[in-house]
Amino acid sequence: MISPVRQGASDSGYWASLIEAVAVHEDRAAFGALFEHFAPLVKTFMRRSGVTEASADELAQETLLAVWRKASLFDPSTAGAAAWIFTIARNLRIDSFRRGRRDGLTESSDVDVEFQVDESPGPDSRVAADQAETRVRAALAQLSEDQRRVLELSFYEEKAHGEIARMLRIPLGTVKSRSRLAMNRLRNLLGEFS
Amino acid sequence: MSIQHHPVDELLTAFAAGTLDLGQHVAVATHLTRCSRCRDAMHLMEHVGGAVLAGLSPTPMSGDALSRVEARLRQPVVYEARREEPERGTLDDMPGLPAFVRRYPAASWKWIAPGVRLRPIRLPAESDTRVFLLKSAPGTKMLEHTHTGTEMTCVLTGSFSHEAGNFGPGDFDLGDNTINHHVTVGAGEDCICLVAMYGDLRLAGIIGTLIQPFIRM
Repeated sequence: MISPVRQGASDSGYWASLIEAVAVHEDRAAFGALFEHFAPLVKTFMRRSGVTEASADELAQETLLAVWRKASLFDPSTAGAAAWIFTIARNLRIDSFRRGRRDGLTESSDVDVEFQVDESPGPDSRVAADQAETRVRAALAQLSEDQRRVLELSFYEEKAHGEIARMLRIPLGTVKSRSRLAMNRLRNLLGEFS
Repeated sequence: MSIQHHPVDELLTAFAAGTLDLGQHVAVATHLTRCSRCRDAMHLMEHVGGAVLAGLSPTPMSGDALSRVEARLRQPVVYEARREEPERGTLDDMPGLPAFVRRYPAASWKWIAPGVRLRPIRLPAESDTRVFLLKSAPGTKMLEHTHTGTEMTCVLTGSFSHEAGNFGPGDFDLGDNTINHHVTVGAGEDCICLVAMYGDLRLAGIIGTLIQPFIRM
């Protein structure tokens, strides 16, 4: 469930400062703290995406290893810590699904570049991270708990929805329609804050 | 001309969530490259993804997970052997494509109907969606057609119009089996579009039946 309370601004700043400590000082203690907090969350994210227990553990390890290696690329002015780690986990999940479909015979595809779309000329109007986080947090806070739960579904592949429907004890069709409604509401709320 | 037609929110969210099929991802990325408004919306959804991640209940990691990762921190990064990237991408002559798409291998233009040529793009990963460029001469009236699946179109150059309006560079059009298109290509220049097609196109009439096999590639 998305909890707008836990994702406080100071909280987010704390995790961002740890990523910067890793980038600047290769700070092992900071990395340990990031690992202890985020690896179990990424593991749940992978499990909900339909990944096996063992693979989810491995993908969570790979995600945090990538956090260490890419820490210098983290730009706190455009991404929050959780949003940045989410994009790393997302890309590793895509890569893993592609490998799975190919029976291990992989032609390495570079998922990261597939998300590089900020290249149009002129000043980029990309919303600053703290502003984006404030907007998202304020919008999520106005959704019902139920809406927040189904909104989460948009972040998993459709095949994982059945499992979530069972978990919430509601029919799959209901999950989908509620997810759409929650999405519309969220986008309206986000629009209001722009 | 500014962009008038955008992908629906659900598509931008699916893009940010990483749940789109690669072919459809390419079509949405082509629009995003041109449209800062949709990029903003997509990045906001990445922040929602961060909030989703932050709010999940943790699953305990295996006992030695941290020590296994720590053992790898000092190891030099071993990059997998990459395919030789061409110095110049195969599709560098096409304006408006995202950089990663310009490096995909593409076949040459094939004639498929009077005034219409098609250039297939080969994706680096399996996809249920076929992606190709479609070049139509000015003033061409496309055949009346419906789809068995969804078809995403992003205009690169030129323009076309149908019942839903006029589509110029950067505009995004989503077609599905509920829509019967009467497409007319704008005057003045060729219209080149990137098309991601899921399912088959159904063309009306005898000419449609004749050229159907070409479109199926």
